[in-house]
Amino acid sequence: MAGVEITEETKQPAERAGSADVVVGIAGAVSAEDVRVRAQQMIQELGSGVSSLRFVFTWPGAGPEAASGDGQAANTPALTLVPYAPPAPAAGGEIWSAVSANQRAVLALADSLNARACIVIGSDLAALDARAIQLFAYAILDRQCGLVMPVYPAAKYEGLINSGILCPLSRALYGKKVRYPLAFDFAVSGALCGRLARIPAALDSSGTSLLWPVTVAATQFPQVPVGQVHVDVRHEVATGGLELSAVLGQIAGSLFYEMDQCASHWQRIRGAQATPIWGNAAEGEADGQPIDPQPMLDSFLLGSKSLDEVWRLLLPPNTLLELRRLTRMAPDQFQMPDELWASIVYDFALAYRLRTISRVHLLGALTPLYLGWVASYVREVSNLSSAAAEQRLERFSRAWEEKKPYLLSRWRWPDRFNP
Amino acid sequence: MWEQVEQSLHSSMGRVMNRMATLLPGVLAFIVAFLFFLLIGWLLSLLVRWILTALRFDERMSRGASAMAEWSPRATPSLLISRIVFWCFVIAGVVVGVSSFEAGTSENLVSGWILGYVPRVVGAAILLLAGNVLARFVSRSVLITGVNLNLSYARLLSMGVRWMILVLTGAMVLDHLALGGAIVELGFGILFGGIVFALSLAVGLGSRDLVSRSLEREAARPVEIPQPEKVHHF
Repeated sequence: MAGVEITEETKQPAERAGSADVVVGIAGAVSAEDVRVRAQQMIQELGSGVSSLRFVFTWPGAGPEAASGDGQAANTPALTLVPYAPPAPAAGGEIWSAVSANQRAVLALADSLNARACIVIGSDLAALDARAIQLFAYAILDRQCGLVMPVYPAAKYEGLINSGILCPLSRALYGKKVRYPLAFDFAVSGALCGRLARIPAALDSSGTSLLWPVTVAATQFPQVPVGQVHVDVRHEVATGGLELSAVLGQIAGSLFYEMDQCASHWQRIRGAQATPIWGNAAEGEADGQPIDPQPMLDSFLLGSKSLDEVWRLLLPPNTLLELRRLTRMAPDQFQMPDELWASIVYDFALAYRLRTISRVHLLGALTPLYLGWVASYVREVSNLSSAAAEQRLERFSRAWEEKKPYLLSRWRWPDRFNP
Repeated sequence: MWEQVEQSLHSSMGRVMNRMATLLPGVLAFIVAFLFFLLIGWLLSLLVRWILTALRFDERMSRGASAMAEWSPRATPSLLISRIVFWCFVIAGVVVGVSSFEAGTSENLVSGWILGYVPRVVGAAILLLAGNVLARFVSRSVLITGVNLNLSYARLLSMGVRWMILVLTGAMVLDHLALGGAIVELGFGILFGGIVFALSLAVGLGSRDLVSRSLEREAARPVEIPQPEKVHHF
């Protein structure tokens, strides 16, 4: 599949807009009126600090009525509204595929407008906030970052797929300490926009094609500086009707696919570099009632009882032994060591590459193990504050980095079962 | 008397030698035909693999949700196709070898029987292979889905599905080979009918009270407002 190209429907309003300093793109369905009101409000809030900049706001809504309708009526010298034609998402993916397709379309549009910075935000418009936009623009335009990722307020029970797999794996592989490698909101410099948009969107085995900006920046443009900004944004992800195993399969599958594609790059990277962070950390959520990890533990125990024959094909004997030991632990003492969870994910990534079993089955078999890790994590951080839980996650990520030689060894010599 | 025995032994030995002498060209023809097809199959499979590699067939297949890769995860699609080509030629070599063997012996009985039966055997082998792959794939799918739905009987369900498919495959294979005749059809019909009947009885009679109590409880239960989840994975 080739990189994203701008459709004719988007071309006309984009040509009328001419050029822009900052393109703010919404990567999901939203009403034109909401965008107009929020954009005007944001420009007013930004005030004189950014008065010299020309902003273009774009959202998926190109069509005859959108091209000629209410969007353009609000255009001013400082603010232009340009709808874009939403690309058709890949058949297999759910929300993330559609979001990634829209993100690519926004980047392509920003490239065509020769923007100096492109800020992509989620469709709930939570990040369409003067402070967040200012920080993103500052990191790109003033601090010369190529890619800026967000750091959301600490919440110990939120985004656990990110905390448990995406963040530590991405950090260990690509050597960038980025807290949210798959975020709804991020900012890209003008130079990187076109390159990101032009990268072919390859489909993994589940038909999902996600955009991993940190992976692309770290592997294809390693000289590009990556930064992070603290944003006080809390996204409302519509999870109704979504099955954990399906979503975990899509996200982890896409990450494993990228890992396979970029193997020659990440094998050369050792350790992880700290990335500069701007802004003040927003206050995390209040530490509420502790959560009962028993349902997750039950899922893990059921998996270990029933999926033994599948795990046996994917995991080495040492890991299986450790898992068996975990199943015999009392629930109040249940704790999955960081190294064990890291090696499990590494082994699954390797099995994904080797196609040891069907990839759909492989990703499905990861869910009970992931729930085992969640049970262990929830039990461990139940008495910690959100900030302390973040520190715990930092130690957790370091364990993944220290375990990377195991991945390298197994990746290079997969037949040697116990390196 | 000894002369007659000796003469008789000589003549039977002569017949045996004569028979062997007439068989030898046939055996030779069989070996030559088989080796010839083996060589062609090997060369063609290499050619097919080379062409598919040049066309980046594996990459194209792996871009989409490739069914071929899912069903045979260890073999790449190009390897699978080249192997199919090779084995087709091996089978053709055996068939042609048998024909040439009989052309050499001027008798047509064995090859006539084998040639008539080979398509059935090939069809049965394909059925058996497909049935096994299907049973493994479906049972594993059921097992993993069941575990992810927290069904404590997921393993039992998966084993049941696996054996159902294997039994069905076995019956189809026997039927295809024309072995067992009506016994297979009858036995299979009785077995399947029996399972369905047993399940109907178990649910209809055994669980009648349970089902009615469950329905009453369900009807009397007030509408519950779903509690928001405290742990967010996404």
